[in-house]
Amino acid sequence: MSALPRLALASAWNRRLSLGLTLLAVMLAATLLLSVERIREAARDSFAQSVSGSDLIVGARTSPVQLVLYSVFRLGEPTNNLDWASYQKIAADPAIAWSVPLSLGDSHRGYPVLGTTADYFTHFRYGDRQPLRLADGVVFAGIFDAVLGAEVAQRLGYRVGDQITLSHGDGGLPGMAHDDKPFTVVGILAPTGTPVDRTVHVGLAAIEAIHLDWIGGAPVPGFNIGAEVVQKFDLTPKSITAFLVGLHQRAEVFRIQRRINQFADEPLLAVMPGVALDQLWQTVGVVERALQAVSWLVLAVGLAGLMATMLAGLDQRRREMAILRAIGAGRRHILGLLLLESGLVSLLGCLLGLAAVSLFAAVGGDLLAAFGLAALPLAVSVGEMKLLGAVLVCGLAVGVLPAWRAYRLSLADGLIPRS
Amino acid sequence: MTPAAIRIDDLLFRWRPDAAPAVCLRGLQVDAGKSLFLHGPSGAGKSTLLNLLGGVLLPERGRIEVLGQVLGDLPAARRDAFRADHLGFIFQQFNLLPWLSALENVLLPCRFSRRRAQRAGDPVAEARRLLAALDLAAPVQGAPAAELSVGQQQRVAAARALIGRPEIVIADEPTSALDAARQDAFIDLLLAEAKAAASTVVFVSHDQRLAAHFDASFALTGELPA
Amino acid sequence: MLKRCLLLFALLVPMLAPASDYRVGDRLPAAKGSAKGFKEIMWDDLMPKGWDPMAAFKGIDLNKLQDNDPKAIDLLASVRKEWDKAPVEPALNGQRIRIPGFVVPLERKGDDVIEFLLVPYFGACVHVPPPPSNQVIHVVPAKPVKGMRTMETFWVSGTLSLQGGDSGMGVYAYRIAAERVEPYQVNQGKKR
Repeated sequence: MSALPRLALASAWNRRLSLGLTLLAVMLAATLLLSVERIREAARDSFAQSVSGSDLIVGARTSPVQLVLYSVFRLGEPTNNLDWASYQKIAADPAIAWSVPLSLGDSHRGYPVLGTTADYFTHFRYGDRQPLRLADGVVFAGIFDAVLGAEVAQRLGYRVGDQITLSHGDGGLPGMAHDDKPFTVVGILAPTGTPVDRTVHVGLAAIEAIHLDWIGGAPVPGFNIGAEVVQKFDLTPKSITAFLVGLHQRAEVFRIQRRINQFADEPLLAVMPGVALDQLWQTVGVVERALQAVSWLVLAVGLAGLMATMLAGLDQRRREMAILRAIGAGRRHILGLLLLESGLVSLLGCLLGLAAVSLFAAVGGDLLAAFGLAALPLAVSVGEMKLLGAVLVCGLAVGVLPAWRAYRLSLADGLIPRS
Repeated sequence: MTPAAIRIDDLLFRWRPDAAPAVCLRGLQVDAGKSLFLHGPSGAGKSTLLNLLGGVLLPERGRIEVLGQVLGDLPAARRDAFRADHLGFIFQQFNLLPWLSALENVLLPCRFSRRRAQRAGDPVAEARRLLAALDLAAPVQGAPAAELSVGQQQRVAAARALIGRPEIVIADEPTSALDAARQDAFIDLLLAEAKAAASTVVFVSHDQRLAAHFDASFALTGELPA
Repeated sequence: MLKRCLLLFALLVPMLAPASDYRVGDRLPAAKGSAKGFKEIMWDDLMPKGWDPMAAFKGIDLNKLQDNDPKAIDLLASVRKEWDKAPVEPALNGQRIRIPGFVVPLERKGDDVIEFLLVPYFGACVHVPPPPSNQVIHVVPAKPVKGMRTMETFWVSGTLSLQGGDSGMGVYAYRIAAERVEPYQVNQGKKR
């Protein structure tokens, strides 16, 4: 039987043009299937580990998913801010152990700027309750100090001591830079694999300071307050975007959440990060399943093409089959030959698809980072192996009809085909 | 007395139960090591008889015994194996897989039958020897079969039928596509190699002039026996 | 080809079906699993005898109240105040118990849950008043739990303890160090 693989290969190579096209179709389908699976898994992992240890995230009333998206993942724009006074009132609740205010809205060369307090670096956790660590330098102390995430420092080549300027909004519009008030990098964080790496951290007072001479979101011409002078002003923030909450008793979370949601002074929303993420996955899950369904349909199309190609080629191969039968090939040889062919095309399609996905994972890092995803893993996961196995089985199944038909034809033709 | 290599008794075969008989034969016997010239008009059922001898088809009535084995007693897979082990075939045309080289074509039976591979000793060396004996030089042996002339292809087919010294070689009008001069040369080469291997040869043709080469002759008529 | 399309479609349908068939406020029926060394308790056991969560509703006909009626709002506020300082049952401290409930994942490691809350009824965090604090259990499983989503049902088996109060209020909360966390299956079919 070892003759068969060699024969199958030689025969397939002889028909490499038509088989090659179906191979391309199968490969594309496999690439699509694997990509969807890999991105899905990476997104889930990376989102799930972005925040840990916080019981609640509180912001101006909006949808829970949107709140988590902009406060934790820096995706999307915050719709509204909440008053500093409201924050103070709520944070005074004895059930709350700690709270960390967050202020978003500025950026530095495309990277979001987060205004917060030094408590952020002690209370914020990610992954499996990992704290933030400084790779270099210290946490900010002065007004114009900044702590950079690992990716910001690495991509833009900053070191402790460098000067940077921030821009208002996403920095796209000209004239929105706060270049009269430069910041000094005093610390760089160790990589976390979360959106923290892409963030520039400054103090809350600094956010107030750079907007002192701005009114309504734009600088006022002729009205300028210099950096040296800002200290004289009251730099308590008027509003913040959101704040994180940690409780003494985690079981109290429902009660505190309800209290915040019914806060009389202003409409607020408190979400439990885990629950909001689950909600996000439910929504995304529908899209995921749709994408998976489309991928499987593409595979079905590719495999149908393979079956059609094999069936169409059978007429030409009747002589080939007759010769083989004369030499002593039996039913299992004929069937085996065709099943090997469909199996080989599927296997090759799977391997090439895997190679394509790995290539994309290796070089597509920038594209993914724009969506808040850490790099895609290069290795194959168990789920992906199962998918490939399923593709292979389908590919083999596709060969059954042509194989059976070839055998029937060879029976009818005998040793001397009439053609 | 040399045992019969092939023995056919009271054979009847029809393609469909309601059709006319395709092959009808009272009796035929071929002794081991001999060569038989089988002739008859078109439509007499020569090709069908070869399929029956090869075990690809089973008769409606009668018995076909090859090398002492009644083919009807074997299941299909065993018949295929029997054919691989003991029979070599040469057809009128298109004998070879065009995308393999001449040498690889000759080696095919050894890949399907361990017995023939063993009897060939070193299959590659034996293949080359056979091809050389059939007047095919070394450079030709490695060429893809599609590039060979008809005469060359027929000789490669003969080598393939002979490798591993199968007991029976069946040739179905192998010389029809050759010109007269080549025909005799081909038959002489074939019979010489077959004799050296002690194989029985069944040669089918409609050309009576070739009968002289062979030990015995049999006429296959299209008529029903009495 | 048609057969393959139908097969694909048949495979897709279960994927599109909703994950859970519970409605807000549903409680788990009293299906019993095997105990294996754990004492099986009901959610009512977590409330000390003599404390009635519905005490504030006594004597009030809820049907006569509109949603926006200030009396209703006050009533809810006072109920909530009571529930906020719901007492715990000290006799259960240190017991190895087994209890089913709906889960609210708190912390994840990858896709596995390493900390979660267990509540007695469906939709506890969203649409209905939050449960009294003696009806919420903070669970820390020994091993990360796979395939757990918000508001799914699980059996939790472990040692119950009382966590010390937050500053000044003296409120205690239940906590379980779970040895086993298993999905909850209703043998007699789901309520609709």
